[in-house]
Amino acid sequence: MSTMKKVPEADVMTDNKSGVAPESKIEKTRSKSGHERRVNTAVYVVLIVMSVVWLTPFVFLVCQSFRSFLNEGGGMVPYVIPQKGFSLDNYKALFIKGFTAKKYLVNDLTLQEFFDTLDGDETLARDNAEAAALLRSAAEGRDPAKDTISSVMSAVQKDESVGQDKRDAASAFMRTVFSAARNQRFENDFRQDFNGRFIPWWTKTFVIGACFSLAVVALCILLKRLNENSDQLYRFRLLIMLGILIAAYLCYVLTIKQQMGYAPAAAGDYVQLGIIFLLFALFSLLAVNSFLKREGKLLQQIPGYPPETAWDKIKKAPVLFLEFLAMFVVMTCALIPTENSDYVGWYGNTLTIALFTAVIQTVIVLSVSYALSRLRFKGRKLIMNVVLVLGLFPGFLSMITLYFLLKSLGMTGPGAVPGLILIYCASSGMGYYISKGFFDTIPKSLDESARIDGATRFQVFLKIIMPLAKPIVIYTVLMAFMGPWGDYVFASYVAFGNVPTYNVAVGLYQWVNVADYQGYFTLFCAGGVLVAVPITALFLALQKYYVEGVTGGAVKG
Amino acid sequence: MASVTLEHVKKVYDNKVTAVHDFNLEIKDKEFVVFVGPSGCGKSTTLRMIAGLEDISGGTLKIGDRVVNDVEPKDRDIAMVFQNYALYPHITVYENMAFSLRLRHMSNEEVHKRVCQAAEILGITEYLGRKPKALSGGQRQRVAIGRAIVRDPAVFLMDEPLSNLDAKLRNQMRAEIILLRKRVDTTFIYVNHDQTEAMTLGDRIVIMKDGYIQQVGTPQEVFDTPVNLFVAGFIGSPQMNFLKAKLIKGADGYSVSLLGASIPLNRDQNEALAGKKIGSQDIILGVRPEHTTVLFGQNTNAIECTINVNEMMGSELHLHLTSQNQDRIIVRLPTVDLTAEQRANLNYGSKLYITFPAKVMHLFDPESEKNLIWG
Repeated sequence: MSTMKKVPEADVMTDNKSGVAPESKIEKTRSKSGHERRVNTAVYVVLIVMSVVWLTPFVFLVCQSFRSFLNEGGGMVPYVIPQKGFSLDNYKALFIKGFTAKKYLVNDLTLQEFFDTLDGDETLARDNAEAAALLRSAAEGRDPAKDTISSVMSAVQKDESVGQDKRDAASAFMRTVFSAARNQRFENDFRQDFNGRFIPWWTKTFVIGACFSLAVVALCILLKRLNENSDQLYRFRLLIMLGILIAAYLCYVLTIKQQMGYAPAAAGDYVQLGIIFLLFALFSLLAVNSFLKREGKLLQQIPGYPPETAWDKIKKAPVLFLEFLAMFVVMTCALIPTENSDYVGWYGNTLTIALFTAVIQTVIVLSVSYALSRLRFKGRKLIMNVVLVLGLFPGFLSMITLYFLLKSLGMTGPGAVPGLILIYCASSGMGYYISKGFFDTIPKSLDESARIDGATRFQVFLKIIMPLAKPIVIYTVLMAFMGPWGDYVFASYVAFGNVPTYNVAVGLYQWVNVADYQGYFTLFCAGGVLVAVPITALFLALQKYYVEGVTGGAVKG
Repeated sequence: MASVTLEHVKKVYDNKVTAVHDFNLEIKDKEFVVFVGPSGCGKSTTLRMIAGLEDISGGTLKIGDRVVNDVEPKDRDIAMVFQNYALYPHITVYENMAFSLRLRHMSNEEVHKRVCQAAEILGITEYLGRKPKALSGGQRQRVAIGRAIVRDPAVFLMDEPLSNLDAKLRNQMRAEIILLRKRVDTTFIYVNHDQTEAMTLGDRIVIMKDGYIQQVGTPQEVFDTPVNLFVAGFIGSPQMNFLKAKLIKGADGYSVSLLGASIPLNRDQNEALAGKKIGSQDIILGVRPEHTTVLFGQNTNAIECTINVNEMMGSELHLHLTSQNQDRIIVRLPTVDLTAEQRANLNYGSKLYITFPAKVMHLFDPESEKNLIWG
């Protein structure tokens, strides 16, 4: 890479010799002029400010989710800014707290603890005075240090003299106090650890966000510097990726299992994860191989680019390998099933729906287009006009009707997958315009010639028109696949409330629509990336035809 | 190898436009018939009806003894060559030619044998592995013909197969079609708008205009005895000269008077006219450019003309002349017979005299446009 830098210098030298130097000199002085420098600085400042402002909320969200990830069961935990700043000790404490987060899980409290918590929070006691009084009266005569609040609660629930609504209120109140107790515990710990004081939430948001954003910007500047020395850059990337991988590995084994309420990690888990990582490593190797091949080809096309040596490639390979590996590992964290979420299942549902729809819709659309393009029959114009007018009405108009129709067929809820396939394929023939336009550009004499050669209409369609209309077939398949793949509206109401038949979009929404969404935020991000995988793969494989298809339908190519 | 019979065949399109009126024709087995006429005369429509690509609105169409009005194209045992070749662009020449055979579930050996044989006849053996886009126009047309002949069809239809080729290639392909016809001995129906091609290829020519057959006959017949003005003008190049003249019935027979000259008709013509009881009347006189004689000196009964345009064609001159009220008379003058002096005098504005014998004259009625003798 360092040779790459030298190329322009060599040019300048030859220019000097041949007497064309002045131009390059001007170029040099210009780039050094004060004005230019001021502009550059201004641009950098604006960019840094903008990126800090822009990144802040995102970074904060990520921090929050990481925070709640460490804190058992999620939940918004007030942030603390340590007075002494971020020291290594503080971080250590933070991680240790995080990894032993079980401590904060509150399932039950002794009466002593319960009423202490209640007394420590005036608002809580004031807002639920009635329920608090009920519990207090029920707890009278019990041992505050030994008896638990749940035993008191079960006594209350059996007490017929108290109204049902009051009993329910008391139960809800108890759980609220649990969560308050958890927060108090956590805060106490952190007060102790960081010796911090509480700061209003927006200050925290901005300060933490800004700090991390500045760190990102600094990282970018560092990367730019490193970019000038590729060897250093590779070493840097290598270190970062190794760090991520080790962290991910530990997270997997140490925290995720724990968070799900299973037993602490056993030896078998390490082996199991090791196998998964090995699989990922295999995928990564394949990816690196094809990446390097493609990159080499692309770089060759740049005029004046120094030819890559084998050593250059070998240098790149491990970095790329680790980067791919990290990508796979981070992405698949969404695949871990938890209560009320089954990402693999949703993904499977979406894939099933999208594949079936792609096939059925393509067949229908192409047949309709071919018929309207080639056959002349009574009412052809009328059908085309009616379809055009019907197409002006948004499909959402039919939502309620469709729901009841599907329900009577038993295709809602548990039967949502076939139901959705039915919905997506139902009116697909109406999207014939583009492919009809494309078929119109294929000379009719080809059809005629084939028919005289002995082909039936269907054989003409299959053997002559289809190969020639490859771009439009690809286009239709892509469109038919992408529609159901990204659909939320229909999928959400047809599968309403039935988690196993959700599609990815609905499932992902479900993740960020729960009370402790921070706990799911990382999963949400990873899940979102995985959603892009099939579409990206399809486009990469078919983009050549896709471009042809989009223009090919409009103008004869 | 079959005859084709069209009886009162008619084509009316959905928008009530009649493309072909009452078409009657019997094409004999192994005959080469050319449909010729200007654009929009219904010749292609007729061919497409025979092929089965257009519905027949009325009348009957027979191939051999079978009425095929409602038979699918693939079951009519015909092959067709299209103007734009209509080769399948996505498969090789070999597969293009084999396509119809494979649809008929022939064995691979048989397919191979037939394709190779056809390719050999047409001289395209070395291109069999190529795709159509890698071929020149002439080669593509050969493939299109090859695709038709592998089938060994009963009737061979060609829809302006040469009109997409350049002039030189067209002449070459024309000769090849004549040769091909000797090898592939079957019924040919050939549609064309170029009269030269029609004359050179056809056993019989069907001249059409506005959906009506104007004349059917051998090339010699339609050239010598055109039945009306249209046929007379359509066949022959340069076009026949049409002059306003008068037919005078005298005591010793008919004579034509024009531009101060009086030309007596010969015996056959006299008899024909007398048989039709035609009196003196205005006529349009048709004379082919190649039938006029150019005289350089004054001559009795010759027409005095002024040269307007002198076109040098190499072996002959085409002279565009004006004479009194006739604004354009074209004559052909072979250059071989001319002296250098004569040639030097053939300039714009110089005078010369033309004359022609009675037997080359075609007499047309100005009203009905029919030939008074043959029509």
